[in-house]
Amino acid sequence: MSFALISAAGSKLTSCFSAEYLFVFLPVFLFAYSIVPDRWKKYVLITASCLFYCLVSGKLIVYLLLTAALMHWFGIWLDRLQTQMKDRLSLAEKEERKAIKNNFAAKKRSVITLAAMLQLGTLLTLKYTGFFLTNINTLLSALHSTAQFEIPSFLIPVGLSFFSLQAVSYLLDVYRGVIPADDNLPRLLLFLGFFPQIVEGPICRYRQTADALWNPQPIRYDNLTHGLTRIAWGVMKKIVVADRLDPLVKKVFTDYASFDGGVIALAAVFYTVQLYMDFSGAMDVVIGTAQIIGVALPENFKRPFFSKTISEFWTRWHITLGAWFRDYVFYPVTTAAPMKKLTTRARKKLGNHYGPLLAGGIALFCVWLGNGVWHGVGWHFIFFGLYHFALIYSGNLLSPLTKRAGSLLHIDPERIAFRWLRILRTTVLVVIGELFFRANGLWAGLAMFKAIFTRFSLPALNAELLSGLGVDWQDLLIVGVTVGIVFTVSVIQEKGVRVCDALYRKPTVIRWGTLYALLLFIIVFGAYGNGYTPVDPLYAQY
Amino acid sequence: MEKLLEILRDIQPDIDYETCEDLIDGHLLDSLSIIAMIADLEDAFDVTIPAVEIVPENFNSAARMYAMLTRLQEED
Repeated sequence: MSFALISAAGSKLTSCFSAEYLFVFLPVFLFAYSIVPDRWKKYVLITASCLFYCLVSGKLIVYLLLTAALMHWFGIWLDRLQTQMKDRLSLAEKEERKAIKNNFAAKKRSVITLAAMLQLGTLLTLKYTGFFLTNINTLLSALHSTAQFEIPSFLIPVGLSFFSLQAVSYLLDVYRGVIPADDNLPRLLLFLGFFPQIVEGPICRYRQTADALWNPQPIRYDNLTHGLTRIAWGVMKKIVVADRLDPLVKKVFTDYASFDGGVIALAAVFYTVQLYMDFSGAMDVVIGTAQIIGVALPENFKRPFFSKTISEFWTRWHITLGAWFRDYVFYPVTTAAPMKKLTTRARKKLGNHYGPLLAGGIALFCVWLGNGVWHGVGWHFIFFGLYHFALIYSGNLLSPLTKRAGSLLHIDPERIAFRWLRILRTTVLVVIGELFFRANGLWAGLAMFKAIFTRFSLPALNAELLSGLGVDWQDLLIVGVTVGIVFTVSVIQEKGVRVCDALYRKPTVIRWGTLYALLLFIIVFGAYGNGYTPVDPLYAQY
Repeated sequence: MEKLLEILRDIQPDIDYETCEDLIDGHLLDSLSIIAMIADLEDAFDVTIPAVEIVPENFNSAARMYAMLTRLQEED
């Protein structure tokens, strides 16, 4: 099975961070977009999106086209059932209405189940067949059976996990009557395959972007400058920090057995920094690109490392994925009839806090199992999901006790020192989760975690050790300064200041000076060229 | 409306539901509170609240919840 980005033959365009994208694809697209009349702009967008996908993923574009066709067909089918039901209801007597509604509800349920099974079944088959059969083979060997399944090898189309969730959300929204079905196939294709977001999201809802993409605006000066600044900010995070840390992270996570526990702990911290800079940097490039053409994509990050609890962290990190699971898994599970009965009964016996925790726990388990499975193939991803389930659930279980303890000890939860302590605790828990997330398998993750406690000596970070890890002091200094810049901007944003807007209200010298300084910073301190291997965006593999 | 306020006060007594406009956005009610109140609201108002209605716009204030419940009653 291959999860790597698959460039079409001869194409070096692998992501929105590659030089080919930033210096060739994007400028050519913006030029073509700006010179065509407004009514043609959507066709430039859709052509660019299909071309981008072909360059990144070659013939696997067929999956994207089939998904759009499936959405189109099933959406119209659901819409027709809705129209037929309304027609029948308008002619029916009052006592017949319930039976008609139930009849059509059953039909619609069958259609949406088939559509979701086709879409999610494709995703699970392509991603999980190998994992499933490997585990079956292991089980057969353990039972001393000679029978073994052949493990098939699939090429995974780029962005499959992202556009599959978008497709399912569209169909569920049509099913629920939130939106009417779209009979315009190219508009659906553009909603699904808009080129900046196809590789790593954000996971958009039809109502958020479909119309805006189909009616894109002429390029305005303020959108262009804001968008380009956001792109440069994202490139800085990725090229200066994430890619510079990559050799160290790769080395330690691959040869973890030969490293001290302190170095492993440090690598887990560096990986968390790398992942945040990589993924949030990609979102800056994606959202900035869309902003240039006047399309507002939903934010995917809101300074997650200022979170006081794990629950809060997941409302600030990969926001659109969390919202997808909340709207399409958590609430539907908790509001299913048996769950409502369970909650009502449990509340009578356990009270208002612990009562809803039974049904809530079942729904939360489904959410986090789904989250782990969505992220990738392997027990460590499932562990990653269930680790967060355990943290969030235990947080809910213990919250009355912690509140009581806080009031007994006269601790003001809003005191700055206490808030920073909670932020630090949350960050440590996140880093532990990311250690398992990045580890080469569950056993490797457990061994690394154990080593932090059993082999911990944290030797001085001398030059010899650092060169063995593929970095030097200069690298760490550059990373430290850049993280410091990002942290400072985040603190300002936490105070409610929209930094980009504030910057563009400053005099021209400061405005352009800042942008040029940012570009110069990337050119001078970016980890590219000789001695560096371009690193694919980390979330592109999920 | 009084019936709704009674249910809300039973879930979280220390909130002024008559004036508060950001029950969800202000994190005064969390997902567990919502789960707890759904069945009560359905029983009291004889409606089914589908998952699609569970959005902050419908739960940010008692007035908005009441508007949603009235709408669902009319649609039923």
